Amino acid sequence: MNKLLQVLAQRRDLTLTLIVLVALFITAVIISPGQRFPKEESLGFMTVTLPKGWPIFLTLENLTDILRTNAIIGVMALGMTLVILTAGIDLSVGSILLLASVVTGLVIRDTNAPWIAAVALGIFAGTVVGALNGALIAKLKVQPFIITLATMIGIRGLAKMFSNNKTVLLPNEEGTQGYAFIEIVASKWVTIGSFVVLAAVFALLLWGTVFGRYVRALGDNAKAADYAGLPTQRMLVAVYTLTGMLAGVAGVLSCALDENADSTQGVAAELDVIAVVVIGGTSLAGGRGSILGSVLGLLIIMILKNILGLNNIGSNEQQVIMAGVIILAVAAQMIQGSSLPAWLRIGPLKN
Amino acid sequence: MPHRFFQAQSTHVTQSPPDTQPGPDPTTQDPLLRASGICKRYGGVVALDHVDVTFFPGEVHALMGENGAGKSTLGKLIAGAVPATAGDIEVEGQLVRIANPTDAQRLGITIIFQELDLFPNLSVAENIAIRNLRFGESGLVRYKRMDEFALKALGRIGLDISPRTLVGDLPVAHQQMVAIARALSMDARLIVFDESTSALTDDAVDRLFEVIGQLRDEGVACVFVTHKMDEVFRLADRVTVLRDGRYVGTKRAAETDMAELVRMMIGHDVDTSKHSPSHATEQPMLRIAGLQTPALKDVSFDVHRGEVVGLAGLVGAGRGEIGRALFGLDPITGGSVELAGRQIGFGSPRQAMRAGVALLPRDRKTEGLMMQMSVRENTSLAVLPRISPAGWIGRGEEASRCDAVGQTTRLKAASPHIAVSSLSGGNQQKTLLGRWLLTDADLFFLDDPTRGVDIGAKEDIYKIIEELAQRGKAIIMVSSELPELIRCCDRIIVMNEGRSVADLKRSETNQEEILTYATAGPVVSA
Repeated sequence: MNKLLQVLAQRRDLTLTLIVLVALFITAVIISPGQRFPKEESLGFMTVTLPKGWPIFLTLENLTDILRTNAIIGVMALGMTLVILTAGIDLSVGSILLLASVVTGLVIRDTNAPWIAAVALGIFAGTVVGALNGALIAKLKVQPFIITLATMIGIRGLAKMFSNNKTVLLPNEEGTQGYAFIEIVASKWVTIGSFVVLAAVFALLLWGTVFGRYVRALGDNAKAADYAGLPTQRMLVAVYTLTGMLAGVAGVLSCALDENADSTQGVAAELDVIAVVVIGGTSLAGGRGSILGSVLGLLIIMILKNILGLNNIGSNEQQVIMAGVIILAVAAQMIQGSSLPAWLRIGPLKN
Repeated sequence: MPHRFFQAQSTHVTQSPPDTQPGPDPTTQDPLLRASGICKRYGGVVALDHVDVTFFPGEVHALMGENGAGKSTLGKLIAGAVPATAGDIEVEGQLVRIANPTDAQRLGITIIFQELDLFPNLSVAENIAIRNLRFGESGLVRYKRMDEFALKALGRIGLDISPRTLVGDLPVAHQQMVAIARALSMDARLIVFDESTSALTDDAVDRLFEVIGQLRDEGVACVFVTHKMDEVFRLADRVTVLRDGRYVGTKRAAETDMAELVRMMIGHDVDTSKHSPSHATEQPMLRIAGLQTPALKDVSFDVHRGEVVGLAGLVGAGRGEIGRALFGLDPITGGSVELAGRQIGFGSPRQAMRAGVALLPRDRKTEGLMMQMSVRENTSLAVLPRISPAGWIGRGEEASRCDAVGQTTRLKAASPHIAVSSLSGGNQQKTLLGRWLLTDADLFFLDDPTRGVDIGAKEDIYKIIEELAQRGKAIIMVSSELPELIRCCDRIIVMNEGRSVADLKRSETNQEEILTYATAGPVVSA
């Protein structure tokens, strides 16, 4: 318990994000429209009947639904957190998502290979593009913004070439590989589960390994990282490769959830992903941030979008509100403690 | 190696005759600018401490001092580039306020920065006329009139270049002239030259001095910030010496000599009686012969196990560049470097680290520490792979090693988990030293290890250096403070313009001799 408090004390920078999340959750419950009919819900070990008027937001079905849809953004946000920690950016994740989705879809539609092979190929395609990003950034020493802008454009084109500019529809008759793929990968267990597992793995990677420590050191002060003998080039390659791999995973999930691979998939996804990471307190200047923060950021955006949708607020209005939230979140992180009570202070812990 | 054991010269020999005959004594006129009680503090550091100085029209006034004496700060302060913490400035008898460069320019005061503040992607004419690009009522830029305006300014200093040339395409010397032309076009009456010759070739220096002489004859006050003796005697009418941010005195150049100025720069109140005991052995650790890099011309010296070798010299003499070459940051283009008997030339700091070299960089904030990371994370950074089986950080091992080295360096931090940015300069430096102590290197290159560090921490750092020597490590130490070098080092190598010009035993030298070698003009090889 003491240890937990100690950790919390060191992670004050997330306290405010956590408070915002809880407040948002409570608000969502309060303003959520009620159910029109009583509803039975299975919690696994028991079944409860939720009365008429119970907030729709606070049903297991709703919460797992939105988790499943947002898992795609969430998976990509894990890699983006690493990239932004190194003071970089990856604009190509949305295009990588499409490429992985198309590769997976084509393998399932046009071959007799088992669906698991299609999944592996999709993720592999994403990994390759990520490695390409990393190699170009590390070797050419061009800003990541430019390199990934180029791959964002090029990879989307490549994916459309593969799909012949048509939607790749998955076969979904019972007994086909496509059916099995959708049944298994698009299930809530697998989508939410893969996000949770990956989030845990990346949180440990960042917290517990030499690699994670190096990533933060590189973003904090690249010159000093060189002077301390860190393998900065190899690290950049690794970070972008991992991000490509995760975008590949996101592509496979998209393909399963949509039951097709379509060129609209992943359009502007990179912006949602960056927003999640930034709201989670990761600094675009590098060196400061965490996986936990990005998970909180994801939950905040997810709940916000859901509650606006449930209240029939149009997507245009949602975007305007979202803009406000991002600006507020970043402004809050700018306050380096001076005007906030000590326990609310944002930023690295000072004396 | 022609001049490694260069004989000490008479301090008067390097004095060149003045380029221009001084005119009538300018001090008989009314002063142009009088500064009194000027103080400047950066946080807790006092850069200027109640300095009084007066500048007359039509004089070249040199501001001299060792590295960190405050001469540049004073120059910038007069030109409004840094605001004063306290003190009064009078221009022609009127008390004025100079809070920014615009205030200064309105009074006819401007500065030629060492790092020129020109716009490389704009033309010469646009740079000169940048304060007022509107020639005419229409609000549009009139290029023809702008060119005429620029040509007039360029003509005054006799620079024959097209006003349409991009400044970035010009050689540095011409860029400097453009900066001067711009100053003149603003009707400057006082121009501060901040170490203006450091990036110039000899020819360009001659040209610059001609222009300065001409400006003086036109009645402009030229304040020349420098630490080069030969320039002072070539150019200046009067010299003001600063030491540790304090005013030491003002002399007429014709009535003083190099020896006196050196004495003024050093002061007499230095305690050099304390010496670290020597642990030097006869076993060679590092042998540098004729080393050349893009920044070094000819460097030769040896370091033995257990020996502390100091590098003295002015800023820009190439002291830190030796460390960069040893640590794989600069390519070695000539000469040889042997580490423990093996020829080396590292391509990266990683390779240098593996071979047992450690570099404590000069600027701990930009080159050393990760300011947002904790004290412990900063300390363990260079040895992390060694204490992390399969890449998983061994936190127990990390804590015990970092705590142990923290005790060695007498590091004071509220907790090992606080951000290193919240520590004092001394404790930040100890954190960084701790990082390199943990690597257990054989050769330590410490680039100004006590820079911006309080007295107590300084003593601790001296002790660490001595302990390293005792353990048989070879240490090279750069310092801008001569007493510090004399105190800590067994031998002192003096650097001058990319060359090692003297190899002096501590017991046989003194500050005057070192400073003479360091400030004398470029030594011609015998």
